[in-house]
Amino acid sequence: MSTPAMILAQDIHKRFGDLEVLKGIDAEVDEREVVCLIGPSGSGKSTLLRCMNALEKFQKGHITICGHDLTGSKTNVNEVRRDVGMVFQSFNVFPHMLVLDNLMLAPMKVLKVSKAEARERAMALLEKVGLVDKAKVYPTKLSGGQQQRVAIARALAMQPKVMLFDEPTSALDPETVGEVLEVMKALAEEGMTMMVVTHEMGFAREVADRVLFMDNGVVVEQGPPREIFDNPQHDRTRAFLSKIL
Amino acid sequence: MVTPLLSFDFGQFMPPLLRGAGVTVGLVLASGIAGTIIGVVFGIGRSAPLAPVRWLASIYTNFIRGIPILIILLFLYYEIPLLFPYATFSQTITAMIGLSVYAGAYMAEIFRGSIQAIPRGQLEAGEALGLNYLQKMRYVVLPQALKIAVPPGIGFLIALVKASSLVSVIAATDLTRAGRIITSQNHAPLATFLVVAALYFVISYPLSLLGRWYERRLA
Ligand SMILES: Nc1ncnc2c1ncn2[C@@H]1O[C@H](COP(=O)(O)OP(=O)(O)O)[C@@H](O)[C@H]1O
Ligand SMILES: [Mg+2]
Repeated sequence: MSTPAMILAQDIHKRFGDLEVLKGIDAEVDEREVVCLIGPSGSGKSTLLRCMNALEKFQKGHITICGHDLTGSKTNVNEVRRDVGMVFQSFNVFPHMLVLDNLMLAPMKVLKVSKAEARERAMALLEKVGLVDKAKVYPTKLSGGQQQRVAIARALAMQPKVMLFDEPTSALDPETVGEVLEVMKALAEEGMTMMVVTHEMGFAREVADRVLFMDNGVVVEQGPPREIFDNPQHDRTRAFLSKIL
Repeated sequence: MVTPLLSFDFGQFMPPLLRGAGVTVGLVLASGIAGTIIGVVFGIGRSAPLAPVRWLASIYTNFIRGIPILIILLFLYYEIPLLFPYATFSQTITAMIGLSVYAGAYMAEIFRGSIQAIPRGQLEAGEALGLNYLQKMRYVVLPQALKIAVPPGIGFLIALVKASSLVSVIAATDLTRAGRIITSQNHAPLATFLVVAALYFVISYPLSLLGRWYERRLA
């Protein structure tokens, strides 16, 4: 028997009032797989990602993630979120805490890790994202790219099984995009299971195992990056790619 | 300015005025602290996930802010002895309770606004890390909201110094009442109340300076 998928979304329907944003989404991410989610703005990519760690509720369908069933009313969402890291477009680092404390907060409060261990973990992660020298700095003093690397390290400090990225480089100055993508690439190479909403087609082509193209609340097509980028099957995919590439 | 002040016997009347000023400072300090605590609790209550908690907090803040402080003080002054016949509250304590209830409602409104000013992304980042509601409030929202609340909070304290003069109506011997007692003795209201006004200024101006210092430090 193959291992069950890390993320399995089946027939997800989500509406905001009268606006149906997700119209029956099926998506699957296996262990150690990197899936990139592409599509025009407003197609529902963020909403789908946010459903996966219960930041949004959905009206119909099933999601299981890291063995947690999000459909069950008994599900403790905070337990789910321990296993699922999320990185936002706007970084959302905590501006009132030192970088180091940003990384130590959740492990200490949620996982009850000792202070010494939390600090050790945090320093190791800062090393990994190239920000050891910024440990004792307030994040507001950092560039966008540095803040986003702090945010990635902060999520990793919980030792999640899955990482969700929602356009992590869209708010960055062009010259700092690369440093963030490098960190994500290294993470993918280590075998982290990742779902990445992105407009960085170069990254998707290089790093993704699979690309999902979403438009208007549905997954239009999916496949290995080469197939999607070089030989798209649908007009909508072609139209989107011709605009963005 | 000079002529009426000449007629004021500082040696005789400054001690009672300073005592009154001490009561005013004590009242504002105590009700400022109590009001801040009440304000934090009810300010959080305004955004609580449980609807009844939100309603309760909303009723308190809106009701109290809708009635004059004088009415709150008179209500307590006449009702506390009826409700608690064996309680031996001094007027000063009654005044302190009244001012705290009043300050709490305004502080709650200030904290509600400060909490609302925290970007949604901060809350979501906390949630995405698995923090529960209380942890999210304690470690992410409140530290940031408190910083935002300091300037309007200080502004309210300055207003509270002045509003506290109304406690003289329920016979608490604050600075205003001390002044009125003295004028009934020296029949020199102009001089006496000039001194009273100066003392109010001495109490409230440091708060203004504190507020300005804080805003400069943030900038
Ligand atoms: N909280 C919300 N309330 C109402 N509408 C929303 C909300 N969040 C997103 N939407 C709408 O849902 C649609 C999909 O949004 P989103 O998932 O952010 O798309 P994408 O990430 O692909 O750009 C958009 O039309 C957006 O306006
Ligand atoms: Mg989006």
